[in-house]
Amino acid sequence: MSGHVKNMCPQLTISQAARTLLSLLLVAAIDSVSAGVVCRKQPCGSSLQRSLKLTKLIHKESVDLLKTYKLSQGDMSELFCQMSINNVPDPNISGLDPSERMLSIYSHCKAFLPHLKRVTEQQTDLQPPSSSLLSKLSTAHNRTNGLANQINCIYQTLFPNLPIPPEPVDGPTSVPPSQNVFQQKVYGCVVLKRFKEFLSRVTRELRTLKSQVCTRRTTFADTNALF
Amino acid sequence: CRQGSAVVSRLAPPQQVRLDADKETQTLSVTWEDGHASTFDVEILRTELMEMVLNETVGVTEDQSTGKHQWNWTSPVPLECTSLSVKVRSRDGQDVSEWSSQQILPGLDLPDNTDSQMYPEGKTVPVGSNMTFCCIVEEGQQFGSLWYKDTLVKENMLSRRTYATTMTNQGPSNPSGTNVVCSNEKKMIIAGAVVFVGYPPLPSDLVCETHDLISVDCQWSKGRDTYLFGMTRQTYYTLNGRNCPKARNSNMRCGLEQWDGNWTLVARNLLGEFRLTDAAELGHRVRPVAPVNLTTPEVYSWNASVGWLWKDKVKSLNGCLSGHQTYTGYGLNTVVLKDLQPDEKYSVKVRCGSQKNFWKWGEWSLPLSFQTKMDRPVAPDIWLWMDSDNLGRVLWKPLTKSESHGQISGYEVILWSPEENSQQTLTLPRSVYSLPINVTDRGSKVTVTARNPAGVSLPANIVIPRYLPDAEDTAISKVAFNGSGFPLSWVAHANASCGYVVDWYNTSCTQDCNVEWIKVAADNTNTMVQSGNFLAGVRYKFSLYACSSESTVLLERWHGYMQELVPSRTVPRLSPNQEGADVQLTWDQIPLEHQRGFILGYTVYLTNASHLTLLANITDPQLTNHTVRNLVLGSYKFTVKAYTAAGEDGGATVSISLEPYTYWLIMEILVALGTMTCLLIVITIAFTGFSFSIFTILWKTMPGTGLICVCFQGTLDVKPSPHSMVHIVEDSVWDSSKEALVTVPEEDEEGTGDEAADTDEPASLRYYNQVVEEGSSSQRRPHASDSSASSTGSMDSGHTDVTYTGIQTSACYRPQMQSASCPEEPQTGPEEHLQPPVGSFGGYQPQCSWKQDSPEADGDGLDQTCLGSPTSVTSSQFLLPYDTSEEGKEYPSSASTWFHNLLTGKP
Repeated sequence: MSGHVKNMCPQLTISQAARTLLSLLLVAAIDSVSAGVVCRKQPCGSSLQRSLKLTKLIHKESVDLLKTYKLSQGDMSELFCQMSINNVPDPNISGLDPSERMLSIYSHCKAFLPHLKRVTEQQTDLQPPSSSLLSKLSTAHNRTNGLANQINCIYQTLFPNLPIPPEPVDGPTSVPPSQNVFQQKVYGCVVLKRFKEFLSRVTRELRTLKSQVCTRRTTFADTNALF
Repeated sequence: CRQGSAVVSRLAPPQQVRLDADKETQTLSVTWEDGHASTFDVEILRTELMEMVLNETVGVTEDQSTGKHQWNWTSPVPLECTSLSVKVRSRDGQDVSEWSSQQILPGLDLPDNTDSQMYPEGKTVPVGSNMTFCCIVEEGQQFGSLWYKDTLVKENMLSRRTYATTMTNQGPSNPSGTNVVCSNEKKMIIAGAVVFVGYPPLPSDLVCETHDLISVDCQWSKGRDTYLFGMTRQTYYTLNGRNCPKARNSNMRCGLEQWDGNWTLVARNLLGEFRLTDAAELGHRVRPVAPVNLTTPEVYSWNASVGWLWKDKVKSLNGCLSGHQTYTGYGLNTVVLKDLQPDEKYSVKVRCGSQKNFWKWGEWSLPLSFQTKMDRPVAPDIWLWMDSDNLGRVLWKPLTKSESHGQISGYEVILWSPEENSQQTLTLPRSVYSLPINVTDRGSKVTVTARNPAGVSLPANIVIPRYLPDAEDTAISKVAFNGSGFPLSWVAHANASCGYVVDWYNTSCTQDCNVEWIKVAADNTNTMVQSGNFLAGVRYKFSLYACSSESTVLLERWHGYMQELVPSRTVPRLSPNQEGADVQLTWDQIPLEHQRGFILGYTVYLTNASHLTLLANITDPQLTNHTVRNLVLGSYKFTVKAYTAAGEDGGATVSISLEPYTYWLIMEILVALGTMTCLLIVITIAFTGFSFSIFTILWKTMPGTGLICVCFQGTLDVKPSPHSMVHIVEDSVWDSSKEALVTVPEEDEEGTGDEAADTDEPASLRYYNQVVEEGSSSQRRPHASDSSASSTGSMDSGHTDVTYTGIQTSACYRPQMQSASCPEEPQTGPEEHLQPPVGSFGGYQPQCSWKQDSPEADGDGLDQTCLGSPTSVTSSQFLLPYDTSEEGKEYPSSASTWFHNLLTGKP
């Protein structure tokens, strides 16, 4: 019997270990799915530097995008961006501590995505298929989505105990209802202008965060290593 | 506005007037009941400002089914712009009813609608149409301006908040439409609208065809640009009622699965539609699909066969095109390609068309590559170049790709004896194109063959020509390059059974020359020699040979330049040779390789600093010497340049310093001394009884000067030659131990008017001061105004040499009188009388500025200037140094120089 029991125990142990491992993998998978992105473990400095480079690239492209947009909208389009439009995300980054500001960046990126998509749709109906504006809008949308994912990963890495709220912290900025053609032109101009301003702020913010957060964490890690 | 009659009308006013607006079309529909009339007056006002928009009598019949009257009106102004008031009354001739109650169509400028707006928005209109836009200003703001595109336009006020403008004959929009914007008083945009102005579609050239004998593929041209883009404004096409979703941009095509025979294409956009039709039988519109599975079952050196497969029914078609050759045949699926080149790579592709009722060629098949087989090469083009009587080189041209028919593996050369009974065979690698030979027997023959893996070429034979060195050239004529080559022509030769050969090479080449040649058919007597190796400035020699099976005979020779250049070097061995007052220049001819053109002659220049004076132009290129005559003593530089058609070379320069002809002078002096001795003996014998003495010194005329200088002392009355004179000069370099007695050339005294009187004197003795002053002429003391002063000045110099004492003559002595008119050198041409460069000779000049200061000298007559009977004269002031400055140029003659040098012991 004992032998039998002995034979049973290892099977049970292996089964439990496998179950535990499977559970852990499931949790990790669910966690990744909930975040919408698979994050790779990277040092703080390099991941922020990577995001900073991407932000600079998108910002540079956004300047050109806005210029192209204005050229594509006909006469007097220079003045379109001065008109006031509601429901377009504000370019300002809010928050007091780094975690809040990083979360604000992430939320803004997510908030701008539907607006960029909407502008792309609207301009598809106003521009020839060969227009470079359409490809640039599409590129801006894709890169912004990638930037949002990177910020998400950095946030999870730096602040593992702080969950990402499901809704943007700055409040909903839903895309506007149906607009006439003139309103579409004005809307697109305002969206791209604020998008450009937002990226400029993100560039500054990531530079600051890199010096603040990564230095502090490195120092903290080094201190732990000493003990 | 028609007013109603004061009489009570029997017509009842319209009841239940109702307004319905279609704002998209800007149409206002007015309906009413109980009219009992067919004619009505309609009045429309802008409600706010009560401005009349319309007052019109219209005929409207009653709708029997509903019992209502309906009248539609299209407003030129968007119905949203402002409120409209409408009223209607019935009319029967002059009888009118009361007005109906006023109905108002509210605009969007009502106070409860506070936002800024602009209408119409997003409309699509045809090019050339007129439109009215209105701007409703936000409550509380002031209207600023209206802009159409980038143009400020004039506005009309429709209501308190509404302003409108009408644009006429609008042009096409850009893809995103034409912007019309409204700004407030702060020039901020408060509202805007977009209008799309374009054209209805206008496609053309609908053509339908089949590729597989089943389905239909129709294509058409897009035609005029509509200027309309986007899902709602773009043009949509249907073919026989079926949508053509793939007809976009420039790809105007649409397909159907079955052949209908008749097709209708409808193009439609917001501005209208256009229809195109096409009809054809199936067999008349066949454009076959591309053949597939190309193969080459048989490949040879000069031809190959190509086969292919068909898809479906197309195999029953006739006619195919392969490469650039057309083959026809029913169900054609294989052809033989002819006239190919051996060992050549080919790529073949096939397309087909219907032979019957040909419509269009089908698509090309995918290409198929193959390589033809090798064949034996063609016979090489050979020539034999004789370097000497027995030595020569067999030459042959490399075979081109089209001649070798495969990789050449080598060459074989056979040297035959005249009787062809013995031979010498040599095998050479493929990189060798010449072979030196030693020919001892006349009439020998050379055979060359080429070999490749496919075999040996036919033999190329040539009879060894006779060696003809240049010296044996009977005639060699010039040939000019005409831009593309050297044109040669000759008289037909009877013994040119196998044609002519023209060879050429660089004439200046002496060994292992690069020889090129061309062969000319026997019936041709001219050719154009062309080569990529011709160089400018290189002389080529062309030789024409008549070729026969027995011999190769030289017929004619030419030489010429592709482009003549100036010689690359100067004439060699240029040397001067003095011959008295002449200088003979001799030189050698420029070597041929440096001539770079046909030497046409030589030019001879006298070089003075950088200035060249042309002395002679020798047009005979064989003449290589030239004599420059009548030169005075001095240094000269001569430049000789050879010239071609392109110009002169840089010039060779040679210098010469002319000196007295020493040997002749010595001889003449000896003769003179001998003569004098003899004369003294004769006189001594003849005048033994007389008591007087004779002291004589005689100089004979110097070569080239004709000057005789005689000095007598005594009572013997001998009249000297009127041209005789004596100059006593000092070398420019002071040497107190030596004196110089210099004869003045006769020419120096000629040509001056003042001198004419002197020549009449029995004896004209002229004294040159021997004072030598160091320094330049500017430092020289002024010419003495009197003899004493001159003497004093001369004494002051410290170098004054009392140079002459005791010259006596029977003639009275007259000092030099040329005070203001110093004789100048006569100007002569360079050939007749060349002057040496200034400053080349240091010496003394006549005392030009001398003036009489004695009372006797004041007299007018020449006699008064005489100093008296021959007496001892002592003077230290009558000689002045030569002035080398511009004024008073005078140079000693060659004779004086010679004599001076003779006395001073200089060579």
